[in-house]
Amino acid sequence: MTLLLPHILNGLTLGLLFAMIALGFTLIVGVMETINLAHGSLFALGAYAAATILSPAILGDTAFAAWWGTLPLGTRYALALVVGPAVAALAGIVLELCLRRTYGKAPLYGLLLTFGAALVIEEAIRIAWGSGEQFLQVPAVINGPMFMLGLIYAKYKLFAAGFAILAIFAVWLFLERTPYGAVIKAGAHDSEMVRALGYDIGRLRMLVFALGAGLAGLAGVVMAPIWGLRPHIGIDVVIPAFLIIVVGGVGSFWGAVVSAILVGLAVGISGAYAPAWSMMSMYILLVLVVGLRARGLFGRKSQLEL
Amino acid sequence: MTDIRTGISRRGLLAGGAAGAAFMGPWTHNRVYAQATDKPIKIGITSDASGQYANSGASDRRGMMMAIAEANERGGVLGRRIETVHLDTETTPATGSRVAERLITREECGFLIGAVSSGVANAISQVAQKYGTIYLNTNSSSPTESGENCHRVKFVWDGNGTNFAKATVKTAIEARGKRWMLLTNDYVWGHNTAASTKALLAEFGGEAMDEILVPQGTRDFSAALLSIQQAKPDVVAAAIGGDDQKVLRQQVAQLGMGDSPAWINNQQDWPDVYGLPLDNLFGVFGTTWYYKLDLPGVADFVQRYQAMYPDTSMRVPGNVFYNGYMATRELLRAVERAGTTNNIAVIKELEGLRMPAAERMQHHDAYIDPNTHQVQQTIYLATANVGTQDPDDMFEILSWSDPDAVRDLDAAAKCTLEPYEATPTYEV
Repeated sequence: MTLLLPHILNGLTLGLLFAMIALGFTLIVGVMETINLAHGSLFALGAYAAATILSPAILGDTAFAAWWGTLPLGTRYALALVVGPAVAALAGIVLELCLRRTYGKAPLYGLLLTFGAALVIEEAIRIAWGSGEQFLQVPAVINGPMFMLGLIYAKYKLFAAGFAILAIFAVWLFLERTPYGAVIKAGAHDSEMVRALGYDIGRLRMLVFALGAGLAGLAGVVMAPIWGLRPHIGIDVVIPAFLIIVVGGVGSFWGAVVSAILVGLAVGISGAYAPAWSMMSMYILLVLVVGLRARGLFGRKSQLEL
Repeated sequence: MTDIRTGISRRGLLAGGAAGAAFMGPWTHNRVYAQATDKPIKIGITSDASGQYANSGASDRRGMMMAIAEANERGGVLGRRIETVHLDTETTPATGSRVAERLITREECGFLIGAVSSGVANAISQVAQKYGTIYLNTNSSSPTESGENCHRVKFVWDGNGTNFAKATVKTAIEARGKRWMLLTNDYVWGHNTAASTKALLAEFGGEAMDEILVPQGTRDFSAALLSIQQAKPDVVAAAIGGDDQKVLRQQVAQLGMGDSPAWINNQQDWPDVYGLPLDNLFGVFGTTWYYKLDLPGVADFVQRYQAMYPDTSMRVPGNVFYNGYMATRELLRAVERAGTTNNIAVIKELEGLRMPAAERMQHHDAYIDPNTHQVQQTIYLATANVGTQDPDDMFEILSWSDPDAVRDLDAAAKCTLEPYEATPTYEV
């Protein structure tokens, strides 16, 4: 058990990080029924924007960059946590404007558009920041090792897991306890009725897309110090995010969270005892869950289902 | 339009002709792509532009392009310009096969150059051997590439996992201890490098306690790093490549595990570490070249790189660029010496080729082993250059080995090159 316990804790931590990655993805799928394949690229965009805030060297050899570099790292990191998601949210708004022509058409149109957007964003990142590896600095207080149960853990990873819990509850509170959340949920349930009540459904969709993209950007800022940062990092994100929402049940908020934790545990524990299967374990979980319950763990029952 | 005399339409004739050409096609032996001697020589670039080795692939490609640009400035090869066609191999063996097939049969490339992933290199070389097309594996370093997967048409320019392991294992056992753990990327290069390390551990009295296989594309190494902490080895021998390695380095640095246990990273490709903080560059690792080697020609080579690529974020060339450049330069020289683009003549020019240390900017002369087609060259051991203020000067070179001292004898035993007669001949 002493050998297993650290791996269970590690799996839980990993699961929370996966949940944060999937949060924006599940929001957009759940409310707009659009599979946003650009989610990973928005994740990368947020992280790159944060890297620019954190590393003045990227801003060039200017007086502003020199002054910026004198600001405490903690201040710059806090700012990066705002600017990264904001940049991703802006890109999300532009993407939603492009997506409008696909509403009411076959889902394939939206899928292809977001796939194209993912490629465009990735190339734009490559042009703007180069194709090399970037490094996101983090404040000393949340950096470095810490000792627990005779083993070393990365402080930053625990910080990121804690941040993920906060993000999950903040989104839940927004959706469940604010009038805006009520309108968003109502719009997902019956958009015609919401429009009839005088709400601008177009603006609502834009808000949801911006929120989902912003959450992708936020996940990028928090995850980049763990995963590193390169233009094609989006592909590392979109596959687990998609898998998590399918396992959890498309459109289910808590389904995505529970599913992410299960995926984290599967990857973490298999990583300890059968490491060669650690990546495969999440796909085995997908096959098991979907095989036994096609709509996922918390998915709504289809009208076609007996 | 239909020919009244024969009843065969022009379209039908063209279609039949195309089908016939496809059937008889360029993969028959003794093909000739171009009769005109002023026609450019086309080289197919098979480097990765996406996937795990995208960044290294770009560096590899820059090296090739500089060698080709320099040759063209001198008037080309055999008086003919060199042209290139690049297709992305996507760090995927299946794509590598498709790309090689297309470059040879549709683009009519006479030579193929480029690889970082051993799986991709092996896939390309199988296609190249089928057509007899000379293929330079510039940067993949699985021992199998010059061992069981060697081919008459393939030449391997990087040091392999065994070369690097031989340079490090004995010294590390003596300096840091006998109990080793292996952290291995779960694909051909990782497996073969780990096998070499295990064999050397057995030879020099070390113990391989355990091996952790890490799938390609792993983004969280915490389970593996926890297992390493629990096992408490003296040394961890890591054979993790590309983006996976960048992630591993970042996570090891966050845990402060860079100094204890000792880390031996089989080979460290420059594009994988350039720009990272020095605390991410822990342990001892191998390389075939460094831009600050105190040797004649190195400074000029760096200046030429900077003049040709003023805008690249990588301000100085590394080992991947170097291998791409050297391989291409030597191929073009071999064609010039052979006086023909005939593949067999060029292969014979390359087999056994001796390359003076001064020309290769290394400490020892290098040569192409005629039995394995691998370049036997100086292997350098390096660590992080912690005392520097220069952000580019990241490596401290610790030592260098003579090529014969680190030669991969197992690969030589496993390699059987196809006979010349079984290799299709061609001229472009």
